[in-house]
Amino acid sequence: MDLVGAARANASAVTLSEVTKTFPGAATPAIDDLSFNIEPGELVVLLGPSGCGKTTTLRCVAGLEHPQRGTIELGGRRVVEPSRRPVPPAKRNLGMVFQSYALWPHKTVAGNIGYPLRARRMDKDLTAGWVTDVARLVGCQDLLDRYPSQLSGGQQQRVALARGLVARPDVVLFDEPLSNLDAKLRDQVRGELHALHRRLGFTSIYVTHDQVEALALGHRIAVMRAGRIEQIADPRVVFDAPASEFVADFVGYATRVVLARSSAGWSTSSGPARGLEPRTDASSVVLRARPEDLGVTAVDDVPSDRFVVQATVIDASFAGRSTDVLADAGGAVLRASVRHAAFDERLAVSGSPVAVTFDPSLTMVFDEDGAPAVVEWARPKAAARNGA
Amino acid sequence: MIAVGRRTRFVSSVKARSDASVHPVRLLASIGFAAIVAYLVVVPLVRVQQLALQDGAAGYSSAADAIGLRDAIVRTVLLASGSVAIALVCGTGLAWAATRLPARLRWLGVVPLLPIISPAVATTIGWAFLLSPEAGYLNVLWRKLPFATGTSGPVNVYTVPWIVTIVGISLSAFVYMFVRSGLSNMNEELVEAAEVCGSSSRAAFFTVVLPLLRPVLVYGGSTALLLGLGQVTVPLILGRREGVDVLTTVLYRFTSDAPPDYGAAAALGSPLLLAGLLIVAVQRAMLGDNSRFVTHGGKSFRAAARSSRTAAVALAGYGVVAVALPLGALVIVAVSPFWSPNIRVDLFTLDNFRELLERREIVDAVRNSVLLSAGAVLVSLPVGFVAASIIFKAPTRWVARTVDVLVNLPMGIPAVVFGAGFLFTYTRPPAVLYGTPWVILLVYVTVMLPFTTRFQLSAMMAVGTAYEEASHTSGAGFVRTTAEIVVPMLRPALVGAGTTMLILLSHEFSASLLVRSVRTQVMGTQLYDYWTTGSYPLVAAFALAMCVVTGACVAVASRLGGRGALDHL
Repeated sequence: MDLVGAARANASAVTLSEVTKTFPGAATPAIDDLSFNIEPGELVVLLGPSGCGKTTTLRCVAGLEHPQRGTIELGGRRVVEPSRRPVPPAKRNLGMVFQSYALWPHKTVAGNIGYPLRARRMDKDLTAGWVTDVARLVGCQDLLDRYPSQLSGGQQQRVALARGLVARPDVVLFDEPLSNLDAKLRDQVRGELHALHRRLGFTSIYVTHDQVEALALGHRIAVMRAGRIEQIADPRVVFDAPASEFVADFVGYATRVVLARSSAGWSTSSGPARGLEPRTDASSVVLRARPEDLGVTAVDDVPSDRFVVQATVIDASFAGRSTDVLADAGGAVLRASVRHAAFDERLAVSGSPVAVTFDPSLTMVFDEDGAPAVVEWARPKAAARNGA
Repeated sequence: MIAVGRRTRFVSSVKARSDASVHPVRLLASIGFAAIVAYLVVVPLVRVQQLALQDGAAGYSSAADAIGLRDAIVRTVLLASGSVAIALVCGTGLAWAATRLPARLRWLGVVPLLPIISPAVATTIGWAFLLSPEAGYLNVLWRKLPFATGTSGPVNVYTVPWIVTIVGISLSAFVYMFVRSGLSNMNEELVEAAEVCGSSSRAAFFTVVLPLLRPVLVYGGSTALLLGLGQVTVPLILGRREGVDVLTTVLYRFTSDAPPDYGAAAALGSPLLLAGLLIVAVQRAMLGDNSRFVTHGGKSFRAAARSSRTAAVALAGYGVVAVALPLGALVIVAVSPFWSPNIRVDLFTLDNFRELLERREIVDAVRNSVLLSAGAVLVSLPVGFVAASIIFKAPTRWVARTVDVLVNLPMGIPAVVFGAGFLFTYTRPPAVLYGTPWVILLVYVTVMLPFTTRFQLSAMMAVGTAYEEASHTSGAGFVRTTAEIVVPMLRPALVGAGTTMLILLSHEFSASLLVRSVRTQVMGTQLYDYWTTGSYPLVAAFALAMCVVTGACVAVASRLGGRGALDHL
């Protein structure tokens, strides 16, 4: 028993290697040569826009889809391997929480939660009141006799969670479980889910397209794009040091500026750049920053430790704690979210010329292919300025 | 057999290499199922062709020599096109009217469906009692008007225009059914958007509603066209006196005359078969990309704010004409000692009903109808479940497609042709079932294949796969998932399909007509025999009894299925 337990603890809870799945009739694979591990007790978030393959990956782990190539191991057991029929989902010892919850409307809450125990013939747990225990854990112990249609969205979500956890599966799969809740409830349930996971420590894969959810819940985040993992790392790393321009865009670096080098120095679509300049050999780089890290000032009032793009205000709108400014930089639209104190209201008029300022320490630089570029920032050389 | 086995093994191994997901046992089972359905559906149709072509296409030449064949063809086309034209206008109008019913009178929306529920044989005989030129009650009433003259007419129900009209009135119910469901699936905001953009409500109807209804109109219209082409009940009952024949009635005569000429009958079946397949093909082509017409979401279409009394009057009026009048005529004749132009209340009697119960063949026919319909429903439901599952889950694309085509074939082929095919197939080895109830049961199951499959398929699509997947990821296998999750969730659809089929089969006539035998009759065929030979009051009483039995089926079904059972129509 101990030995088995130890062996299990050593093995990864979930291992995917070189998994590829192409849907019939599709030109490109939904998941493309995908490999990653999940350690026991870890919660890995698959994050990405719709169509990036995150749900397909989850469904391959569940056994609801079958990849054409690659292997998948669950708890040290190969459930998908070449030239072998995949292990059906019922025999994979999983729990899954569906986006639509998929609570069976003709069964009570107790019937729904107890179903995995009956299906897996865990009669001892049934009689030992495990259903009630799990229901209490997620806070729906008073709903056991109700039917799903009599529950609110949040309650349904809890029941679905209880059903996913009740049989103590090797891995619990979440398929965008919060996306059907309204914003306020979503925040609350997300918090509860986090507390529950840190308390119980179940191994888990969590699919979402919401970066806030991903950052809050994941031990690690795997950002996916076109069937591949773009970056898999600790949430802090993903947030502060995105591995590509795609990831940066996805975790909030929404404002984009293209810099091109000419003999006269760096310029943007709105003309020559001012302030600090990147030091690199590349002829062109892309800057990415979060709107809330930008500053908007009058043209002649530029701080010296910033990179500056000249622009014209399109619109400025009140956004509670800040002012949202949309500015046009020679056809490129820049979005900045500026604290009221740091913003001169007189600039809020459409057509005002402004300087949009970038803090180098909060700005990501990428090359044209979207790979991160290591650059230093410095004052422009006087020589370059003079055109010598 | 060996060849089939080898072939399936080959296929399954190919499949296993390309996609590991299909379990070979499941694939074999679905191929076996497809083979059984193919035998049921295709063999009778092949047999029809075979008979028509044997002896150097002797069937075709003797059919061509039949007196009045050209007239019969012309009349068939006339009957089909005329009745469909009536049905399209009437049915669409009624469906539009149903959206404008005042809230209190919403129940009137069921009225136009009554002709589907009530036995066509009975109501057609009712029409004869109403509009027969000499003794028809409505004709008599008309002649009582001061300016009317003559001793017969003005309407002769036994002529082509009236046969077309009566078929048209009953087919309106089918068009109504499709258009009503189309309207209830239509997002009301689409119409409101047109009105906000400046269309009048009439313009909105013609520029938005009607174009969006195209699929249901094509669907309802082609269904009505198929039913009109294959129509045998009305022309057989009303056409006899003036010798008005259509293809189906000529076909029937070839099988029922002594000696029968199966070859000629088969030859007459082929144009109907071809026309049916053609209509289905055109229908599919015209519908094309259905996603263009998906208007789901939002509120369903309802013009509640503009409810109108005229709408209620139109629906009620249709109910009176299509059902109440013919049934009323049946009642009067049934309680009279004889059918005469003058209604003699003083002579009213229940003797005819007493006599019904004493006639063994009538009691037998009723029993046969009830048992065979119920039996066919019990067989059809699991068959439809398997068919729908195969189509829905598509273990392999070509198996799913084959099953889809096979189960829908009976929709495109007139029931009379199917009946004839079964007659020709099961009067000879390997399975001589003619003369037994089994052949009727088989025909019923076959004719109901499209209904049972579509009902359950659309329910499966509505339910989706997530519930089933949740069961699988909870550790439940195929058996438990089917028994505990899938079937309970399909219960409303199963009840709805069962109800509909029970009602349709309890008064099935067209297919039964060909496969019944002297000893094995069902209600409709026995009633028809009485109409051709028996006394009118007894016929009327029997017709009413048939309505009562069908009504009892409706009652039992809606009891079982709860209130919603009939909504599935």
